[in-house]
Amino acid sequence: MGGLLSDAHWGVLLILLPLFGGLCSFLWPGAVKFIGLATVSAVALSVVGLGDQLLTTGVYHHAVGGWGAPLGIDLYADGLSLFMLMVNALVGLGVSIYALDYFDQGEARRFWPLWLLLLGGLNALFLSADIFNLYVTLEIVGLAGVGLASLSRSGAALDGAMRYLMATLLGSLCYLLGVALLYHSAGTVDIPLLAERLESTPPVWAALGLICAGLALKTALFPLHFWLPKAHASASAPVSALLSALVVKASFYILLRLWLEIFSVRTEGVDDLLGALGMAAIIWGSLQALQQTRLKLMIAYSTVSQMGYLFLVFPLAAAGAFSAWSAVAYLILSHALAKSSMFLVAGNLMHFGGHDRIADLDRAVQRLPITVGAFALAGVSIMGLPPSGGFIGKWLLLNEALNQGRWDLVIVMMIGGVLAAAYIFKVLGFAFTQAPVTHEPKGVPAIMEWSALLLAVAAIVLGFLASPLMLILGIGETVQLMGAGQ
Amino acid sequence: MNIPMIYALLGITLFSVGLYGLIVREHLLRKILALNIMGSGIFLVLVALGKRSVGDLPDPVPHAMVITGIVVAVSATALALTLMLKLVEVSGSAVLHDAPKERS
Amino acid sequence: MEAIDIALGLFDLLLVFLLLWLAWLVMSSEDLFKAIVLFVAFGLLMALVWVRLEAPDIALAEAAIGAGLTGALLMAALDRLNAVKPMPAAAVVTSAKREQPSLPSKVLPLVALVLIVLGLGYALLSLPDVADGLVPNVKEQMAQSGVKNPVTAVLLNFRGYDTLLEMVVLLLALLSVWSLGGVRKLSPRNTNPVLASLCRVLVPVLILVSCYLLWVGADAPGGAFQAGSVLGAAGVLLLLSGWHVEQKILLWPLRFILVLGSGVFIIIAAVLFFTQGGLLTYPVAQAGWLILLLESAATLSIGATLAALFFGGIPKSRVDQ
Repeated sequence: MGGLLSDAHWGVLLILLPLFGGLCSFLWPGAVKFIGLATVSAVALSVVGLGDQLLTTGVYHHAVGGWGAPLGIDLYADGLSLFMLMVNALVGLGVSIYALDYFDQGEARRFWPLWLLLLGGLNALFLSADIFNLYVTLEIVGLAGVGLASLSRSGAALDGAMRYLMATLLGSLCYLLGVALLYHSAGTVDIPLLAERLESTPPVWAALGLICAGLALKTALFPLHFWLPKAHASASAPVSALLSALVVKASFYILLRLWLEIFSVRTEGVDDLLGALGMAAIIWGSLQALQQTRLKLMIAYSTVSQMGYLFLVFPLAAAGAFSAWSAVAYLILSHALAKSSMFLVAGNLMHFGGHDRIADLDRAVQRLPITVGAFALAGVSIMGLPPSGGFIGKWLLLNEALNQGRWDLVIVMMIGGVLAAAYIFKVLGFAFTQAPVTHEPKGVPAIMEWSALLLAVAAIVLGFLASPLMLILGIGETVQLMGAGQ
Repeated sequence: MNIPMIYALLGITLFSVGLYGLIVREHLLRKILALNIMGSGIFLVLVALGKRSVGDLPDPVPHAMVITGIVVAVSATALALTLMLKLVEVSGSAVLHDAPKERS
Repeated sequence: MEAIDIALGLFDLLLVFLLLWLAWLVMSSEDLFKAIVLFVAFGLLMALVWVRLEAPDIALAEAAIGAGLTGALLMAALDRLNAVKPMPAAAVVTSAKREQPSLPSKVLPLVALVLIVLGLGYALLSLPDVADGLVPNVKEQMAQSGVKNPVTAVLLNFRGYDTLLEMVVLLLALLSVWSLGGVRKLSPRNTNPVLASLCRVLVPVLILVSCYLLWVGADAPGGAFQAGSVLGAAGVLLLLSGWHVEQKILLWPLRFILVLGSGVFIIIAAVLFFTQGGLLTYPVAQAGWLILLLESAATLSIGATLAALFFGGIPKSRVDQ
């Protein structure tokens, strides 16, 4: 049955609060901003509560309906889940504050219900221990993501949203067929039980292939990234931030979770394939980012490249386990903060100049110092320079690759860093110079400037928080604990 | 080979035919049909393999999953169709741009 | 082997063949209208397959949603598509160029298709012939579930949390459709007096069927999804017969009905969580009527959402413009 009376069920609140907030904001369009901000703040507090609970009592476990696996659905939270929920809460707060001033009345009424339901879906996803339940959460995230991506109703946004919808639906279907094969192989959809029962058989390999392919498509792993740049670059700035910072991480999280719990011992070379595609993504995404003339497209291609780093975990996790995946978790958090900040910066620059052409940034640094400062700080983390969260994450990953003698990964990571520096300094360079064509600038609300800066500062501050964050990640040491039998 | 297995094999064939249509056909309405056929194929696999139990009762859990899946599918279809119509209103074409355009 | 078994086996093979053929035609026929009609036929045959696989709950859902409402949505979309301006001339030119696709681009996807079928087929055939899945677990706990239909027990109780989230998916689809600004009205037809009088008979019948399905779902095939989609079908019929509602009613009350299903689910989940200490942990004695309450709310919401999705447009309101 349910947990003891003594432990508060923050996990349950994390799911119900945003869903309820989403419904309320739909029912009372006049109060969306208030309901939205209150809900996101309450979610952030609940994450703190859950963190406190996990640090004192260890992993969180809740059998929904009191049935317990395999008949019922279990909720589960360990350090990795908590980390992802922190990403949701931090980025969610920053973007929500930004959105207060970004959207006009009509757009705000459409934005908030979708965003709160998306947040509920994401939280539910990070708390689920059931692969079919994960499918339903993936659909919430996907449909809400598409609704948000098309929010501005511009031709480009509709086009991007359509690509995203096709990719996300196909990804979900592949994942679902994989789930069907796993269920019929093991008679359960509960992750710990699957870990106990699955053997290395053809249906399990087929499921592994389908699930990896479906989730890689949703995560925009090279060469399945074709949908991402248009979808992320053509959405409204806060939406781009949410899509790049949170939504692509959700499908990656499922892949990582399943890998650590179920698939790691049954890989047969898939780990090296994912690693190789990750390396290709780093190089290809960076080169594309470097060639872009529009800021938002550059940032979107940078996401393709940064997601590549995450996939390096698969060849490394087999031998390195905790040290490898904790590095990647660190990268997820710092990328989410830095990338959301960058998209918000792009939103400010577009608001300011009416365009996002990199070459025409026209001394933005003098006129929007806070915004450009935010971009520079976020850039430090994306490049992986110290002191920043990005630096710690990449440093840990590099160390792991060196320890395992994977020089190919080391070299690609170095090249990726240099290329990232190139595309970020290119933007900063144009921000200092005068454009040939000057334009009528429009003032940017202070809230929009400061929220972008705060997210970037958070990405830097992460560089000083390595030891407490590693302590959090270590809760339940995913690899051994969740699969009780392994 | 028994009857449920034949239906399960039909399921993966439908999944593949849908996938083929999704990739080859360019009109968005056709892609939406393709996704629906893929979904039906997966539902067949789920339910048909649930008939392998020895007792008289087929496994009800996949049945519930499929009903969930059908509702998700109709939701996604409705959204995709609306998005397609809006896209056609704006761009005049029911084909995504970087692909060659197709009529009907 | 009994003659009836052989006959049924032949029937199964015929169904398999027909479904494959229809699926291929849906993908390959040049005419979109034809493809949609064939897709609806495909859905109806799928309903027969569900009957053959002893899945009557799915058969009902497939007939109502898979073939019925999806078909109506597709037809309405095609109608609207044709009402939008014809394709620009440039598109026609490029489509003429497309007549001759290069050989590899035609053959490669087919080769991939065959390889995928073979690979997945091999995987399926290596599954053990007998597997009980969760049948024993369901049987063991049925007495505690509050209902007698195992599928309803799984949907609303054992895995009720999935259903909660699924209601959110349905609502999200509508929110996203409304966020897109809605689509143009179906091309105007003179309201057919026959259709109108048919509706007067059919709609009450559909509402009764819906109530019946909802009520019977506890013990026999049926339940909220089937009942909701029949209710949605009644809504679609009303909309087709040119039914108009007061704008005032469409605003707040409609929104309220749309969120009723997920809202009641969330509230009950929260109340049970604080009283029983568990998310969606029904006390055994109350499980039956709690499930009926959830299903009633869900039926209303599903029906309203599906009809609203078919309608496509946002009910006009000052606040949303």
